Amino acid sequence: MSGIYWEEKYETMPREELRELQTIRLQSTLINVYENVGFYKKKFDDAGVNPYKFDDLDDIKKIPFTTKEDLRDNYPFGLFARQMSDIVRIHSSSGTTGNPIVVSYTKNDIALWGNLIARDLYSVGVRKNDIIQNSYGYGLFTGGLGLHYGAELLGATVIPVSGGLTERQIKIMKDYGSTVLCCTPSYALYIAEVGSELGLDFAKMPLKTGIFGAEPWTEEMRKEIEARLFIDAIDIYGLTEIIGPGVSCECSEKKGLHVAEDHFMVEIINPADNARLPSGSRGEIVFTSLTKEAMPLIRYRTRDLSMINEAQCDCGRTHSRMKKPAGRTDDMLIIRGVNLFPSQVEEVLMKVKEIEPHYLIVVDRVNHLDTIELWVEVSEDVFAEKINDLEKFESAIENKLHAATGVSIDVKLKEPKTIKRSEGKAKRVIDKRKGDVI
Amino acid sequence: MSSQTAKKDFWDPEISTASRDRIISIQIKNLKDTVKYCYNNNAIYRKKIEDAGVNPDKIDDIADIGKLPFTTKDDLRDSYPFGLFCTPLSQVVRVHASSGTTGNPTVVGYTKEDIDIWANCIARVMYDVGVRKDDIVQISHTFGLFTGGWGFQIGTEKLGALVIPISGGNTERQLKIMADFKSTVLVNTPSYTLYIAEVAEKFGIDFSKLHLKLGFLGAEPWTEPMRVEIEKRLHMKALNSYGLSEIIGPGVSCECLEQDGLHINEDHFLAEIIDPDTGKSLPYGSKGELVFTTLTKRAFPAIRYRTKDISYIYTDKCPCGKTLIKMAKPMGRTDDMLIIKGVNVFPSQIEEVLLKIKDLEPHYLIVLTKENYMDQIGVWVEVSEDNFHEKLMDLEFFEKSIEDKLFSAIGLHIKVSLKEPKTIARSEGKAKRVWDRRQEGN
Repeated sequence: MSGIYWEEKYETMPREELRELQTIRLQSTLINVYENVGFYKKKFDDAGVNPYKFDDLDDIKKIPFTTKEDLRDNYPFGLFARQMSDIVRIHSSSGTTGNPIVVSYTKNDIALWGNLIARDLYSVGVRKNDIIQNSYGYGLFTGGLGLHYGAELLGATVIPVSGGLTERQIKIMKDYGSTVLCCTPSYALYIAEVGSELGLDFAKMPLKTGIFGAEPWTEEMRKEIEARLFIDAIDIYGLTEIIGPGVSCECSEKKGLHVAEDHFMVEIINPADNARLPSGSRGEIVFTSLTKEAMPLIRYRTRDLSMINEAQCDCGRTHSRMKKPAGRTDDMLIIRGVNLFPSQVEEVLMKVKEIEPHYLIVVDRVNHLDTIELWVEVSEDVFAEKINDLEKFESAIENKLHAATGVSIDVKLKEPKTIKRSEGKAKRVIDKRKGDVI
Repeated sequence: MSSQTAKKDFWDPEISTASRDRIISIQIKNLKDTVKYCYNNNAIYRKKIEDAGVNPDKIDDIADIGKLPFTTKDDLRDSYPFGLFCTPLSQVVRVHASSGTTGNPTVVGYTKEDIDIWANCIARVMYDVGVRKDDIVQISHTFGLFTGGWGFQIGTEKLGALVIPISGGNTERQLKIMADFKSTVLVNTPSYTLYIAEVAEKFGIDFSKLHLKLGFLGAEPWTEPMRVEIEKRLHMKALNSYGLSEIIGPGVSCECLEQDGLHINEDHFLAEIIDPDTGKSLPYGSKGELVFTTLTKRAFPAIRYRTKDISYIYTDKCPCGKTLIKMAKPMGRTDDMLIIKGVNVFPSQIEEVLLKIKDLEPHYLIVLTKENYMDQIGVWVEVSEDNFHEKLMDLEFFEKSIEDKLFSAIGLHIKVSLKEPKTIARSEGKAKRVWDRRQEGN
């Protein structure tokens, strides 16, 4: 620990050296899973991969992917590379259907995880004197315990509040003088809302940093949270399958999430044809564990969409940065051969004034050709005023969408309050090709 | 896990089988340190010790503890949140607290070393009854500010067994994991354990085919008949684990396989029994209020903390081979605190919420019942005359909104039943605010 780095040697390692480190660590991981996990032995043998002769990082291309279905099929312990007596912890993500995803940790894995979180917290200025209110849920979910062990390793004071009971959260924040808040970004906004209702002035509170993750969020949301809570809002990323939170995290620059590349190798692929994409392209993130013992995963497909920037960050860290994940491959539409994500459409729409945040993408196939319409509500005032100009307004939006996505989308402006509202997660896409009905 | 080897195999044999003299000499030395430490590091303790006329350098005998002042829950509340901490916050790595926003919760802190002591206390009680590295420990206590789940989490980790930190609730998932992961040890409240058995029977799950062998049950009082029921239905041995966050959390004491009294981790916690009315020390074997003094803790040591739990201390030797003295499982409280589903709740907390709501009369009755072996808590409360008729249509909605307020204040679902004005019996003396009907069912 020195200056602004928790582990300067690894965080600022020149990329060439980092690549060597990754190669050595990857080889020992490949040998670990080949010798201890039947699933991988078969996979490697079928693909003709010899882990004992692995010496070029690029050869990872030859290894098949691991998917969520593989985890489900090998439920509960089929992918463990260690005996139960060496495993000290199990976490699990609850699937709504089928078997849950189960992951395991040795003592070393738990220590590694804590160290990653401590590194992330340290990199955004959290120190021993800080009081960390951890409002992620504790239990099988990795969020609560993951952040907790790292914060404790750092030596800060952790308040393991867990989620919910918002009034109590606010009382604790005020009375204990919490300086750091860990939770989902949407819960942070809810805390801000309830706090304001209770007459709390966040400008006067000691809270200075938020570590937010476990769900995708936008730059707009960050601005909103920062303005309302008077804090720096930091994005942390992770998934249970890889280790939990701490796979990547923003530094104080807030220009992308540094991937802990000494422990995880990251690739970007085209989800449509599985080809590896060069750095800077948008695609699906794929991670490979380099140091985990109990359950390393090789080329695990996250289904999260992002891009990777290998340029050195102003903070001095050499680890490449992931852009905030913008949606999931599960949401990807293929329109006349072009990949389109609803989040791309939303991004364009959010920049157009006079438009309400209610829209619906309607996809169909007419005469063997894909068609795509975008229904979007105009604000009350505008609808009455612009009624004559609607067509012009529509084509202006169409041009913007085409420029951003490369797809011609037929925009249909709608009267206010005509698009169905949802009580839970909004449904933004109707794909009639798959039998959806409006 | 084998109960045969457990008889002779202890986690800390030099402590667990130490002679009485040896334990007492450890206790005197650590008591001296603790008193001096509190005196030097905390203004409130310093004043209390001075007011009691005690010279912290002159604690030479274990009986000298009787000269020291008590610490009570009110002392914790008055010094909220960190007034009784003896280290700066930079050395505190963890804070736990009792639930509730009503009144000030009691807040306790831990240094890294305190956390390690805690883990060791739990590893000791688990190992000494046969839990080993290859056991799979399902922790169904809620995690969070509550200490119950945490103590066993870090203790199991210290021991090197596998932890499944499943936390409370979602009973079907508890069962699926218990079966699929082959859990051998269950850490839970006794009432939720019985509820799990109930649900299992509904699904036709046969516990004799599962792998559970041992349960560490605590965080609420339970009876021998309940133990018999749990052991019969879950096909496991059920052990009573005791602790309170003010002292450290679980790990203060725990039963051995003899299931006759809870061995106190005496190298860390000094137990006394006092007469709750006079505060006078009582000899071992007498029934009275349990009082604990921590001997090794740093962030939040407690001197003569009054637990308000009623118990007694055994004087005879335990056949298990452990020489650490035993306490009887608590047989009641000296105050009106209720423990429902592991959550501590005082009637006054409920009252405080109710009195803040307009349209309610100050007449209420807390009703305790048992449903599926789980303690249930509800409150009957009168609505004001004007509002009863007007709101008749909306009563359900009104009840729900009061339930939400109670939950957010206390962290417990308390069923609210609104009653017509003047229907709850008035008392001429001290109002009877709690109607305990738990003995009626089951």
